[in-house]
Amino acid sequence: MIAALNGAFDDISRAMRLHRVWIALAHEDIGDQHRRTTLGPLWLLVNYVAFVGTFVFVFQPAGRDAAGYSAYVAIGLLVWFYLMEVMSMSVSLFQREESFIEGTTLPLFVYVMRLGLQSVIRAGYAIAGCVAILVFSGSPVATPWLWSLAGLLLILFATPALITVFAFLGAFFPDSQFIVGNLLRVGMFFTPVFWMNNSQDPIQKYAYEWNPFTYFLEIVRLPIINGEFPAHAFTVTILASLFTWAIALLLLGRYRKQIVFLI
Amino acid sequence: MVSIKLNNVSLVYKLHEKLTLSAPDRRVAGPGGRIEGSGRKQFVQALDGVSFDLKAGDRLGLVGPNGAGKTTLLKVLYGIYEPTDGSVDIEGKVDALFNINIGFRREATGRRNIVLRGLISGWTEAEIEEKMEDIIAFSELGDFIDLPFKAYSQGMAARLAFSAATALDPEILLMDEWIGAGDASFQEKAKRRMDELAEKAGIIVLASHSEALIQSVCTKKLTLRSGRIESFTTEPVKRVGAVAKSS
Repeated sequence: MIAALNGAFDDISRAMRLHRVWIALAHEDIGDQHRRTTLGPLWLLVNYVAFVGTFVFVFQPAGRDAAGYSAYVAIGLLVWFYLMEVMSMSVSLFQREESFIEGTTLPLFVYVMRLGLQSVIRAGYAIAGCVAILVFSGSPVATPWLWSLAGLLLILFATPALITVFAFLGAFFPDSQFIVGNLLRVGMFFTPVFWMNNSQDPIQKYAYEWNPFTYFLEIVRLPIINGEFPAHAFTVTILASLFTWAIALLLLGRYRKQIVFLI
Repeated sequence: MVSIKLNNVSLVYKLHEKLTLSAPDRRVAGPGGRIEGSGRKQFVQALDGVSFDLKAGDRLGLVGPNGAGKTTLLKVLYGIYEPTDGSVDIEGKVDALFNINIGFRREATGRRNIVLRGLISGWTEAEIEEKMEDIIAFSELGDFIDLPFKAYSQGMAARLAFSAATALDPEILLMDEWIGAGDASFQEKAKRRMDELAEKAGIIVLASHSEALIQSVCTKKLTLRSGRIESFTTEPVKRVGAVAKSS
């Protein structure tokens, strides 16, 4: 296990020294995805705002003010779309990078960081939209917002680990690309992205409390919506992140040299 | 001192079968190593007990039929594949040209692609900047260098790839069938650059099916068959004349 961890740290430190590579490639990726479009990456902002608007229009609970629900959905969709993109793109990461993996000696973590940075850049446009919605919905900018920022940073910390775990999953079990895709589509309805837990419905209560993604959402949302520090959500998210990192390091250390034979 | 030393290198990997509706006995194995085992536990013996030494100035030609292990051996030398047995000792800065499209983005210009290729090879931005004009001049791409890579022909892509790969004077250069895409004048120019590289006490390892290319570029020839060395001849070509069988 020690050898595996050393191997993983070696891969990560080499990737960090090559940061110019993944920064350049991630920027190229974003540019390529929006090349020749009129709005360019601003489409990411338009898509996000359109989604929030649609959800607020369709799902706003009776008796709840539109502004408060807009803020609730805006943060929920921001975090959920980010996590969903990270996980769904990760399962096919090594297959997409096949020519690089079979033709260069770049450490695997370079591809992890390339996808991570790409997802962060895309989320940046959604964050701009989210802040605008929060301001327009009348959410007062206050000190608890710093806890939301800490929540975002915690999600950022967990991102490379999530990518690594899902990338290895996709390499070992190609079927998981479809399974994860389907689970994420269904998972949106079992995660409090746009619905609120009223603790009355047992299924809803179960989906709220036993779904780890609930806590990833709540560490960003509760400080802004309720003005409180969600200690329980932070604890669960920190533990989940550390657990994911432990799995990621073991996979990276143990199997990084096998990936080239699997893809 | 630049050198390559392989001692009894073997590479075995497990075949990860995809689910298929075909009956197992009707599936035909393609070329590439020897397949051992049966059912879901099949292994490919891609290299088997490969040993040789190369020293500064050597130019090794790798030959053999499809699936003999030429590309696998190059990838072991580059560090992409980790051998399952034996040892690989390499002294010197290695660069490789396996696939001319590696590191090149279709939408980016040739100039931007030189930057990306350089970063992937571990160059600093200063080194890329310093070599940029040399690479463009050697590639003879002219104004095309500022057009997107997707506008290039295969031959133009090969020119750019070769110019970039050899620009920083790698001490060891590994190449896999790269030259077929370039035209005759560029092949001649590329050969001169390889001569210069080898004369600066470098090592070149070139895998090819072209006997003429091997004869004109290489000073040693290693023939592989089913992952094993069939023959290793030194000084085989017009350069020296006599062909001595060393192992």
